[in-house]
Amino acid sequence: MNRVVITGIGVVSPVGCTLEEFWPALVEGRSAIGTFSIARGERLKTRVAAQVSKFDPAELFEPKQLGLIDRFSQFAVVAARAAVRDSGLDISEQMALEAATVIGSACGGQTTLDDSYFKLYSENSPRLHPLTIPRLIANAAASQISMDLGLKGPAFCVATACASGTHAIGLAFHMLRSGRAPFALAGGAEACLTAGTIKAWEALHVLSQDTCRPFSRTRSGLVLGEGAAVLLLEERAHALARGARVYAEVLGFGMGADAGDITTADPNGAARAMRAALKDARKNTDDVDYVNAHGTGTTQNDRSETAALRDVFGSNAKRIPVSSSKGVLGHGLGAAGAFEMAATALALHRQTIPPTANFEEVDPDCDLDVVPNIARQAEVNVAMSNSFAFGGLNAVLLASRA
Amino acid sequence: MEAIAEGVRQIICSELKIPLERLTPDTALQDIGVTSLDLIFIIFALEEKFNISIPYNANEVAAAGERVTSKVGLEKLETIAQISAAVKGLMDAKAPK
Repeated sequence: MNRVVITGIGVVSPVGCTLEEFWPALVEGRSAIGTFSIARGERLKTRVAAQVSKFDPAELFEPKQLGLIDRFSQFAVVAARAAVRDSGLDISEQMALEAATVIGSACGGQTTLDDSYFKLYSENSPRLHPLTIPRLIANAAASQISMDLGLKGPAFCVATACASGTHAIGLAFHMLRSGRAPFALAGGAEACLTAGTIKAWEALHVLSQDTCRPFSRTRSGLVLGEGAAVLLLEERAHALARGARVYAEVLGFGMGADAGDITTADPNGAARAMRAALKDARKNTDDVDYVNAHGTGTTQNDRSETAALRDVFGSNAKRIPVSSSKGVLGHGLGAAGAFEMAATALALHRQTIPPTANFEEVDPDCDLDVVPNIARQAEVNVAMSNSFAFGGLNAVLLASRA
Repeated sequence: MEAIAEGVRQIICSELKIPLERLTPDTALQDIGVTSLDLIFIIFALEEKFNISIPYNANEVAAAGERVTSKVGLEKLETIAQISAAVKGLMDAKAPK
């Protein structure tokens, strides 16, 4: 079995489109949540989101390319280019033939869909743009990356709602570990801030109207985000031979289904996925120094995740620092797991635990060390990243210091 | 007001698939086993029927064991009578003065 490391990270995030903006914002707990601007937003009750600003597609794409590509794919391609640049990998023709591209997205080209349906139903337009379908298909991000970078190996989309990015990275990791690909671009992309999507989220009555406060008794719900994160996963011997900077080694991946309820999470399902990741990595609970939580800031998630962590880690659950990145980044749905694995890799690389931002008060039902508001310098050798999706689909990654 | 109360009763019984006779004005949602998801469906059906918007945030449901409807942002919504009164309040607030 090959060992697999992370040698490149690219982000298009609500706190900025470079790692120099992304990591300090996470460490300082600087939240990107605020007012946002979208087409037909006046129809919404929701006034806050974590929107990607400072992103000008016209500067990043050829005019001809722009017409073909939805906002979520734009995010993915820009993050993928950044990951390759960051890794310093020179992609040979031979490597490109086998390179994998695995990109998660919960809902694909929502901007295209919303604009098209508005035109069709509200403006009574008799026709839609010829490229409506190529723009909105859920695999468009993976396809656009493969085309942009000339990657010809296995390429596909993973759609597991809020766990998509984590599943994508996990599956790419397993492919590299078994020698199916020399390197992979894996992550998640989402551009779900459309009037239709947010309206649908409003119907679930779980959106916050102020900000996201994971694990805090004063929580008011989740805040939607958007963006993309793409990791360059590389076979370790290859990375070391070329003298690459290694952020972290991916050790294990666990997944499973609750087989229970479409919306209510089952702590047993989350616990099984964590145990599966530990087993895949051949690590024990004692080895884990940090957990990047799913931590959406909904009552249900925070309590269920706490119960699962208590179940898996037993008396150690209170000792292990657990933080959520969603107070800073919002919930990027299919991109969330990828953002959070990027944060986990950076925590291992910088030996710094990013805090849970916006924390106000302890929730007695979430009695974990949630690293409230202030980052911590700490020895972090092994870290876990959790994602639990609607539909009861759970994915957990385990990584170690390089 | 009676029409509203009857509408509320019908919606709740239809969502929960229980006979109308089971609900009196004093029946509490808690007592008929309403789950958080049932409540979302009931709120949606009430909003559709009465053309109102009910400001409910599932995360403001406080500690475990507390009533699912104890913090709705406007007033107590525990019994059928209270829900009917809240619906009427929201309709009145919308109506032109």
